[in-house]
Amino acid sequence: MSRTYEAVYIFDSALEETAITEKLDRFHALLPQPAEAAVALTTWGKRTLAYPIAGKETGYYVIAKFEAEATSLPEFERALKLDEGLLRHLVVLDEGAQMAPTPSAKDGEDED
Amino acid sequence: MARQQKTCAICESGVHVVDFKDERLLGRFLTERGKILPSRLSGTCARHQRQLSTAIKRARQMALLPYIKGFAG
Repeated sequence: MSRTYEAVYIFDSALEETAITEKLDRFHALLPQPAEAAVALTTWGKRTLAYPIAGKETGYYVIAKFEAEATSLPEFERALKLDEGLLRHLVVLDEGAQMAPTPSAKDGEDED
Repeated sequence: MARQQKTCAICESGVHVVDFKDERLLGRFLTERGKILPSRLSGTCARHQRQLSTAIKRARQMALLPYIKGFAG
């Protein structure tokens, strides 16, 4: 069963944007997407970190939403861990998507 | 002595799921040192307090919120 996941990446802000997109393409190639869907990327860009990571004060944030089988995730996360330009990453279930297919029993009297 | 009943600010704002990327919302539920505010002080309901604590911990991991505020050295 495939589920929707959300990944947040913090790249080294010294990297160029082309290098970052190339890395993202390489990571997401490990996650075969269903035909109609693609990995949805949101780029926050360069931000100041709340505390220094690896001696760096700023990071380049990218958020990705994708569908994946649970079995394909260990290989994906291994690739993330081995990458030197990636300061930190977090892959979690997309909670918003999880809530969507479970409407309440009393659905008829919803406002929207 | 009965404590004054407080209402959950997150329920009132109509948020269903607390997002760990929304650091402005999460920041309202931290002490000035950056600790998670207990629900007895903030008045959040149990469901949202659980979501908040997970979200704050995730936001700290991703350097959106500090583990300790105002710590030099």
